[in-house]
Amino acid sequence: MEGGGNEFTGEITLRPLELSDIDDFMAWASDEKVTRFCTWEPAICLNGHTIGDISVTKNSGNDKCRGELGYVLGSKYWGRGIATKVVKQVANTIFAEWPHLERLEAIVDVENLGSQRVLEKAGFQREGVLRKYMLLKGKTRDMVMFSRLSSDPKS
Amino acid sequence: MAIDLSRISLRPFNLTDVDDFMLWAGDDQVTRFLRWKTFTSKEEALTFINDVCIPHPWRRSICINDRSIGFVSIFPGSGDDRCRADMGYGIATKYWGQGITTKAVKIALSQVFKDFPNLVRLQSFVAVENIASQRVLEKVGFLKEGMLRKYSYLKGNLEDLFVYSFLATDSFPVVDP
Repeated sequence: MEGGGNEFTGEITLRPLELSDIDDFMAWASDEKVTRFCTWEPAICLNGHTIGDISVTKNSGNDKCRGELGYVLGSKYWGRGIATKVVKQVANTIFAEWPHLERLEAIVDVENLGSQRVLEKAGFQREGVLRKYMLLKGKTRDMVMFSRLSSDPKS
Repeated sequence: MAIDLSRISLRPFNLTDVDDFMLWAGDDQVTRFLRWKTFTSKEEALTFINDVCIPHPWRRSICINDRSIGFVSIFPGSGDDRCRADMGYGIATKYWGQGITTKAVKIALSQVFKDFPNLVRLQSFVAVENIASQRVLEKVGFLKEGMLRKYSYLKGNLEDLFVYSFLATDSFPVVDP
């Protein structure tokens, strides 16, 4: 998972993004997109703005208790609490929407401090560092595992 | 009387292992922390050996004097996960507590990083109640990285699992004679 990319597509209006736009973004985020099966999708346009993407992947069988959270936010929108707000919204609502889900997890690069802070603020628990867990752009990376359980308090 | 560990070896499964296979794979104690169900018939076991064990990317029978007493399995990932593989193992209860599984895992370690050149990280997930298995991994030199809460179902129970790893860059244990 990456904390944000430098590009976003879609038409950009000439007014600055306002906090009131976030309600629309979250309505979308907690509705259709959390039921997607895939990881990354092409950028989504919203009110002419594409500011990011959030998804939760489902598992089956013995792993159906577990879903993996992924999100990306255009770097222009970093530092304003947007990702935190969106992640909190998803974490607070998804367990009711997916009754089989017990554990929402997120796997973050050890160097991605911004994303780790988002998860901590959204009530995720840091469980450990998985050494050389996956390849990202051809290099093996240490990743931090975070989780929030359906039994954890809402954030 | 302690088993002479030089009698322990790893090799691929054969259909002729079926009777020995049933002795441990038909035992609830052995399969308690494994994902697969206890085997109840020789036919079931033959099908499993033929359809799963033999074509498997890396599954070995743990043997004493070439008789099957358990298994070690390595499941490699693909794509961006190809640096990673999951390991599982089990052994007949008669052979618990004698250093045999530890030896078998050490042998597996000495082979698997060569068999899978992309492999960087070997990991194993162990139920928190499975103390014996945790000790095996610790003796071999795996690092416990954390506890994954309510990570998956095991025999219908939602389990907290410890995640352990061994890297290609870690110090390989000596495989005692």
